Amino acid sequence: MAEWNAYYQNEDEDEEQEEGEQSGGDYKVTGRDSLVFLVDASKEMFIKGEDGEPSNFDMTMQVVRSVYTSKIISSHRDLVALVFYGTEQSKNPRNSFKYVYVYHDLDEPGAKRVQEVDALRGEKGARLAAETMGSGETSLGDALWCCANLYSDIKLRLSHKRLMIFTCRDEPHRGDSAKDRQARTKASDLKETGVIIDLMHLMKPGGFDVAPFFRDIVSQPEDESELGLHLEPCDKLEDLQKRVRAKEQKKRAMARLNLCLGEGINVAVGIYATAVTARKPAAIRLYRETNEPVRSKTRTFHMQTGSLLLPSEIKKAQTYGKKQIVMERDEVDSIKKFQDPGLYLIGFKPMEKLKTHHHIRPAVFLYPEEGEVKGSACLFSALLMKCSERNVFALCRCVSRRNYPPRFVALVPQREEVDEGKVQFTPPGFNVIYLPYADDLRTLDPPQCPSASQIQVDKMKEIVSKLRFKYRSEAFENPVIQQHYRNLEALALDMMAPEDTEDLIMPKVDQINHRLGPLAEEFKDLVYPAGYNPESKSVAKRKTAIVGGVAEKKPKAEVPEDELRAHVQNGTLGKLTVPVLKEACKQFGVRTTGTKKQELIDALTTRLAA
Amino acid sequence: MAGTKSALVLCMDVGFSMSNSAPGEEPPFELAKKVIQKFVQRQVFAENKDELALVLFGTDSTKNPLDRDGQYQNITVHRHLMIPDFELLEEIENQVHPESQQADWMDALVVCMDLLQTETKGKKFDRLNVALLTDLSTQANQDHLDVIIENLKQAGITLQFFLPFPAEDDEEGGGDSDRRGPGHPGTGKGLSREQKESLDLVKHVMLSLDEEDGLDQVYTFRDAIEQLCMFKRIERRPMAWPCQLTIGSCLSIRIVGYKAVTEERLKKMWVTVDAQSNQKEDVKRETVYCLDDDNETEVKKDDTIQGFRYGSDIVPFSKVDQDQMKYKHDGKCFAVLGFTKQNLVRRHQFMGSQVVKMFAPKDDEHAGVALSALIRALDELQMVAIVRYAYDRRSNPQVGAAFPCVKQDYECLMYVQLPFMEDLRQFTFPSLENNKKLSPSDTQLSAVDSLIDSMMLVQKDDDDADQKDIFKVHHIPNPAFQRHFQCLHHRAVNPGTPLPPMEPWLKAALERPDVISERCQAPLEEIKRKFPLIEVEKKKKLKTSAQIFGKDAEEPDAKKAKGDEEEDYNLADIAEGSVTSVGSVDPARDFRTLIKLKSLPFGEVCQQLTHRIEQLLSNKNTHYYMKSITCIQAFREQSVKLGNADLYNSYLQSLKRSIPNRRLEVFWDLLVQDAITLISKDEVEGSTVSKNEANQFLVVEEKKEEAAVPSAEDTGDVDDLLDMM
Repeated sequence: MAEWNAYYQNEDEDEEQEEGEQSGGDYKVTGRDSLVFLVDASKEMFIKGEDGEPSNFDMTMQVVRSVYTSKIISSHRDLVALVFYGTEQSKNPRNSFKYVYVYHDLDEPGAKRVQEVDALRGEKGARLAAETMGSGETSLGDALWCCANLYSDIKLRLSHKRLMIFTCRDEPHRGDSAKDRQARTKASDLKETGVIIDLMHLMKPGGFDVAPFFRDIVSQPEDESELGLHLEPCDKLEDLQKRVRAKEQKKRAMARLNLCLGEGINVAVGIYATAVTARKPAAIRLYRETNEPVRSKTRTFHMQTGSLLLPSEIKKAQTYGKKQIVMERDEVDSIKKFQDPGLYLIGFKPMEKLKTHHHIRPAVFLYPEEGEVKGSACLFSALLMKCSERNVFALCRCVSRRNYPPRFVALVPQREEVDEGKVQFTPPGFNVIYLPYADDLRTLDPPQCPSASQIQVDKMKEIVSKLRFKYRSEAFENPVIQQHYRNLEALALDMMAPEDTEDLIMPKVDQINHRLGPLAEEFKDLVYPAGYNPESKSVAKRKTAIVGGVAEKKPKAEVPEDELRAHVQNGTLGKLTVPVLKEACKQFGVRTTGTKKQELIDALTTRLAA
Repeated sequence: MAGTKSALVLCMDVGFSMSNSAPGEEPPFELAKKVIQKFVQRQVFAENKDELALVLFGTDSTKNPLDRDGQYQNITVHRHLMIPDFELLEEIENQVHPESQQADWMDALVVCMDLLQTETKGKKFDRLNVALLTDLSTQANQDHLDVIIENLKQAGITLQFFLPFPAEDDEEGGGDSDRRGPGHPGTGKGLSREQKESLDLVKHVMLSLDEEDGLDQVYTFRDAIEQLCMFKRIERRPMAWPCQLTIGSCLSIRIVGYKAVTEERLKKMWVTVDAQSNQKEDVKRETVYCLDDDNETEVKKDDTIQGFRYGSDIVPFSKVDQDQMKYKHDGKCFAVLGFTKQNLVRRHQFMGSQVVKMFAPKDDEHAGVALSALIRALDELQMVAIVRYAYDRRSNPQVGAAFPCVKQDYECLMYVQLPFMEDLRQFTFPSLENNKKLSPSDTQLSAVDSLIDSMMLVQKDDDDADQKDIFKVHHIPNPAFQRHFQCLHHRAVNPGTPLPPMEPWLKAALERPDVISERCQAPLEEIKRKFPLIEVEKKKKLKTSAQIFGKDAEEPDAKKAKGDEEEDYNLADIAEGSVTSVGSVDPARDFRTLIKLKSLPFGEVCQQLTHRIEQLLSNKNTHYYMKSITCIQAFREQSVKLGNADLYNSYLQSLKRSIPNRRLEVFWDLLVQDAITLISKDEVEGSTVSKNEANQFLVVEEKKEEAAVPSAEDTGDVDDLLDMM
């Protein structure tokens, strides 16, 4: 067991290393991402749907809230703003715009803001909105201008600027062409400064027509296909959430590499991490008196002289076979260097050669970088089409960054898929699957067990069929992270207790039992003999213990002193078991802090060698 | 096999015949020495618990426990059974030399057997082995052959022979003929009578130990060196994880999990040592905390508390509170949440860094049957179980998929972690196929087709259903480890010399196989012709950065406050690489940038700017007025800088004249407030305006207000103003 535990404790460290590889490149681009929600607050937005369905305004607030909380979890440095237009009251930095209400200016979202958005939700929220803001005239031009000011008031460097308009009115100015014109001008000004404007149009009776007005307001999609502009309005929260989420995060390449097919044939590609294990963020240290964050400085100094050591004054060492092997620091780096970063095509293999169990880390995604090498997209696209058509994957050698040893990867083709609303749910490109080396596969000794009979298998099939469901990867929240943030939220907002989290990965035992009905018993009758209880630990062992009457105490593990000394001399202490070593430590009065085997060995060695 | 321990005696012939060799060939002694060196190296770096002994025979002296009455002469136990270390390697390097005696290899074998039996007493070894390296040139004493074989069998000692020549001629080589390539020196023909007799004896011994595959354990030196050049792969003992698979609360199956696939890391980390003393004890790392003030005031660790970021808030949250409030669960579990179609679990969504295989416990066949029923049911239905997996109480629970795996000799479930909602990033990418500009033509597609044909790594034999995979990644040892050990070994044996180049075999193992390289030549040329690839020049990069950074002023205020104008402009340069005209968004900034870039004549840039100012003023709105004023300020500032006052002065004068006509009094007031006046002689030499006039320019306005009206007529037209420049 010790070893397993050790793995788990080390996992964090290991993954830290990996993290560097996975997401380290994410923030190469300096500057913050920013997102402005520009929400229509006209009367139409507050009309509730049939059967008590939430109003468009309510739906929007839910989405805004979920973006706020997800930003807090995944990218707290992004700036978010919430602005209403078509309000009766006005509130903006210089109060120079009428009918524009800046609810939140561009800033990092925090607990208070989440709470404030919460206040706008539901029935109560609608009332609060009516009280504080009201509904008045609409001037989208002023609203856009106000947003432009929000951007320009920010002293920070912004890298990605996005503005989302939520509305259910396709003609906000009711045909006032001067206002329309002003809005268009302002929109184009914004676009000129690099702001991407999206329209999240919501359902209204009679349908939402993007064409007459909003077509000129929103940014053109990155490509020339029609995909960018969703012509269908959203009427479901889930849809809206999906659309917003798809746009809300700026996709950033972890690395830009060349995919080399052969001498002089280099396709520029970007590597994207589409799934990265979200973790609880690291704690930060605060000064007790003031609660202000402190910085940590790590320095290396000489034990004897106490002087700080320069990087040139330290070396790296490892000990093997009782010999210390010393290297310079740059030598340690150079050992890891094989080739320059890049992907190098080895060949192709049929898809069935990609084994399910050859999995060592999460996959990444490959997409061409036409901006680096012109023509990349065309060759990439041709490779993608052909690989997919012929059901093959490309095997490549991959050096993801400088001084990283090579790994082999499978480039698995993935064709684009869109849903009925023409929203892309699978992007086109190659999934990069990391393949294990010989060292990564462990030799196991599978036990010989009888196989089940067809009757037994068929009974299990009934059980399986009863518990079928449609798996969706986004269906499960991480209860650990959710709880952590609820706790923080509660502390930040001085709430009495954190909000309850639902553990979505807990089996719904009652439901399962109910659905199975008698099947579970029937299956057990088929496979287990009477009296067999799989719950009891190690059935066979317990029986002997009972037969023997009083449970025997383990004989004390003791090793004679001279034998121990011999072990120390030959360096073979490792052969003894942990309990024996512990006993030996006690025997010699050696105090150990750790319980790990190596610690025990080290302690004994120092004691007995002396 | 991982988790087992063996005891091994290397028994090497150092007698005089080992030094004989045909001209141009390495003597058998050198080859044999290489074999043991490589072998011991591997053992040292593998750091397992295997123990090694070294026995030499043919030595001038005699040193062994059986040395009695002139028997077992010229045999030396050089090193007793213990864990190998660098000392042994150095001894082999420096103390093992060709000597001038000959000894009976059968006697040496007996010494080895005796050593194994006496020195393994009281210890548990899973495997006892003797490796004999000899040229078989001495006549072996066969008197006790049967007794020896019987003893070997009883003690469970296995034998390996390493010879300078192959044991079998190729015609009878049979099964493993592929293992030895052509070109081995000294095949059967060149053998002496003694060697032939001994070889027969070797065969006899090996076959009586293992009738079928006995001869597989007879190697040539060259084969052995080739195989040993690889460092051992890292092996870890598989640790069992016993648990119960549960479906609801009524059905559970006992299982045992083992990590089957995981990215292996080196067992040892680099330790930092002092460069002078090479002692790690001399180096201490220390972390101190300090406040973020100018003095970087240090605070004690005890005076700090733990906190977390919640968006923009920092929440103090002590470890104790955190532990109390954190998510808790019931510990170890493998609970089925439901079952789903295999194709809904996409390969690229696998998370985590491992695959765990779940078997039934060894001693529980009922669990085996129950688990088998589940595995087969899933396999037949093409489904997987979605499960909640928690390693133990302290670790975080996961959601994952358990895939059925039905193999010829075993069945198991394979568990892989799946993503949580928080892990996913929904990126959308522009369509490739629907983009007409990018979509490849038919001839381009067929070029890719033939490339794929030429580069298939799996070959189908026509007569054989089997496919041969010529590039199995999971058979390649991790090159990083190989290189790591190669360098460590080099440094240990040759301190003070630079690190060696990479081993050629390792380099070759990472390259495209030669067959493929040859075959894909032509199709690659075709691709090159059909797909033009042009590297985009650096200039373009500038533009991208402008797009990324955004074009508007981000930190000018802060910068200006510091009077750090120069740097501001540098920044502007980088960000504004693509400014080609004075735009409407931030005309002042564009204007400055263009002047700085000098890409357009001064007059033209000024004209663009005044054009914008006029546009802004036509809006009659305070916001626009403010913007106009910043433009005029910029205009003035740059004109002074360049020493060209005329354009600015004449523009401002005509602007002033047009005020009443255009009802821009409000705007003029703002201008007066900001004291933006003409450029005087004092500022720019060429100016025709005196300092006094400049000051008067704004002041006199009020008095002249009425007078200005009549003169407005001839200056009212904006276009005229612009034409002046």
